[in-house]
Amino acid sequence: MAVAAPSMGKQGGFRLGAKGQESAAGFFFILPALIIIFAFIFIPLLSAFLISFTNWNGLQPPAEAAGVGLANYSRIFGLDNTTVVRDEFFVAIKNTFYYTLGVVPAQTILALVLAFIVNQQFLRFRGFFRVAFYFPSITSSIVIATIFLWLFNRNGVINGVIAGLAGAIGLEYSPVTWINDANGIIHNFLRLFGLTLRTAPEWMTESRILGQSIWQWISGPSVTMLAIMLLAIWTTTGTMMLIFLAALQDIPRQLYEAASVDGATRWQQFRLITVPMLRPTTFFVLTIGLIGCFQVFDQIYVISQGNPAGTTKTIAWIVFRNLRDSQAGLGAALAFVLFVIIAVFTIVQRRMVGKTVQQ
Amino acid sequence: MNKTFRFLTLAIVIALIAVAAAPNARAAQTVNLVLMGWSSSPSENERLQKIVDDWNAANADIQVTLNQVPDYDTTLQKSLAGGEPPDVFYVDSFRFLDLVRADALMPVGEMLTNADDFYPSLRDAFTTNGQFYCPPKDFSTLALQINTEMFEAAGLSAPTTWEEMRAAAEALTKDGVYGAVVPADFARWVAFLYAAGGSVTNDDFTEMTINSPEAAAALKFYTDLYLDGFAKTPADLGVGWPGEAFGKGLVAMSFEGNWIEPYLKDQFPDLKHMAVEMPAGPGGKATMAFTVCYAVPMKAKNPEAAVKFVDYLTGAEGMKAWTDLGLAMPTRASLREGWLAQFPNLEPYLNGAEYARKWQFVPGFQAVLDKVNEQLSLVMGENQTVNGALSEIETIGAEVLASR
Repeated sequence: MAVAAPSMGKQGGFRLGAKGQESAAGFFFILPALIIIFAFIFIPLLSAFLISFTNWNGLQPPAEAAGVGLANYSRIFGLDNTTVVRDEFFVAIKNTFYYTLGVVPAQTILALVLAFIVNQQFLRFRGFFRVAFYFPSITSSIVIATIFLWLFNRNGVINGVIAGLAGAIGLEYSPVTWINDANGIIHNFLRLFGLTLRTAPEWMTESRILGQSIWQWISGPSVTMLAIMLLAIWTTTGTMMLIFLAALQDIPRQLYEAASVDGATRWQQFRLITVPMLRPTTFFVLTIGLIGCFQVFDQIYVISQGNPAGTTKTIAWIVFRNLRDSQAGLGAALAFVLFVIIAVFTIVQRRMVGKTVQQ
Repeated sequence: MNKTFRFLTLAIVIALIAVAAAPNARAAQTVNLVLMGWSSSPSENERLQKIVDDWNAANADIQVTLNQVPDYDTTLQKSLAGGEPPDVFYVDSFRFLDLVRADALMPVGEMLTNADDFYPSLRDAFTTNGQFYCPPKDFSTLALQINTEMFEAAGLSAPTTWEEMRAAAEALTKDGVYGAVVPADFARWVAFLYAAGGSVTNDDFTEMTINSPEAAAALKFYTDLYLDGFAKTPADLGVGWPGEAFGKGLVAMSFEGNWIEPYLKDQFPDLKHMAVEMPAGPGGKATMAFTVCYAVPMKAKNPEAAVKFVDYLTGAEGMKAWTDLGLAMPTRASLREGWLAQFPNLEPYLNGAEYARKWQFVPGFQAVLDKVNEQLSLVMGENQTVNGALSEIETIGAEVLASR
């Protein structure tokens, strides 16, 4: 109001100082955004938080649900001596962890390399390559996942190409059922050395930690999860590349010129100038990559629905499943646990990478 | 002057009230209902629209709008949680108990004309605490599809028992074709579990009964087909679902519901095939009934009109109009003969109604279903033993039942 009807010059009237006026104007300008954020982010966030303390089944108005205190949270961590929810949660933790461990480093390194390449002056058709690498990121993830479903079909292109390549060097290739193979890739690797469920030592197969044996914990992502990871890497690398590209173009040319005068090779320039100069960007890319990975959902929904044998169940997937299957209270609690996990990892990452960023 | 003004004002007010009230008076006679269902094949959508149009033409006082939504579960959940549910909506037998527990459904089954005409097994799927909540609109059962060309070439007749089925699968596995397609899916294996004389839980869902010799026999039979190489999963064959594998002639046998029939007719018109009843196991014949009802919500604004409309949809006339499409089967025993005269090839599915088990467990049972699917694929991958799988399923099931 003070902005709309300034009371300047009126003696004794209501008056704002210059600073006050500025901040009032500032609030006025961000008001539309504030209202939207409040209505569509803060209020749902708050109600989800409240719902996580109820047994709401998602079928009645939420106000009719009964409060259950911390029961949902204690089920997730098995504090009430039940194991169904806890075991599924820790399977999801394991799957999500392997997924993140594979996707984040791969997409970051790949994005950096691609950005470096398309930033080269000598490269012809740079525009084309930039668009081509970025294209997957702006396509609907559902559409891409559906196409990948076909590519990774047992009789699909991927198997066809591998079979062709293997044939060319005289190898036999028996097609992998990508979208329905529950074998962990670390298990598959160990099998090469003759270590399987039957030959593994007892301490690995008999022990139970949070519902799974050590043997199960070290499975690695399943083959199906691997296919989904490849898909994720392919889609997100473009975005990350774009961020790196912008940062690369901010690095002063003089640094490279000075370095080459001093006789640094291209590799030394990359390692000693480019990488350190990109550190803040790398932190940013790692952080959004990590958050995106922990929330992986749409690819799972389209490709595997948590199957085979639960090896593609991720935390976001079980949140959704509980919301769908009339356990909205539990689903909301899981969502908040996921939120805490993401927050903790981001803070840890900030401590590790971020410190040097702020020098 | 003042008097004239007052009179005029009064006249205007009266006129306004009359104008405002008139349409209200008329509206009070017409009730508007919304029927919400999921959208299925175009022919089904059109047929249902026509049935609704017929009703609207005959009943000026109850006008129905058909709302076929793509993301049904979420939409229904939203409208129930928002306190404004549609007047009539579909409820799958699997979701039924969830909704009853949430106090979302009004028991209207007994208010319908000739409610005893519904098959008992289907009535039972929508009955709880002694109350028949909502009438089944149609149903599907599982049957065995056989590729008659392959069977004739091998000189085999349609299998009626597990032994015959296994022998046929073994004999027909050759030249890149497999005997059968076995998905790692509880909704298919469970028919074998019942045929073996096994069960998932006891009748009142207080105890898991799945860790039994019968269940072990069923699991072994099902997974041995795969492990011995006579059967493959849909993913192994590079197809989306068993019907596709069967249609493409990659397998000689498949067990699916009657929804496979229009699909095969449409996509593989030249395929020579027939449906026979599910082969009998050690415990006799068994199949699964998948059914959906027309439910009226507890918070219905016009329950009487809604019941009247549901009575038309599931009555002899409405159900005949609906099931004459030949996609889903009539749930009224009195319509059996007339329907079979039109679709004699679907008799094995309809016969299943006599001994079908309902596809229904307690709320929260999805976790057990997931576990079964997981254990099925582990056993098929030789990463789990039959008994190990059953005891894992029993453990998780016992906990779900105990937490109710």
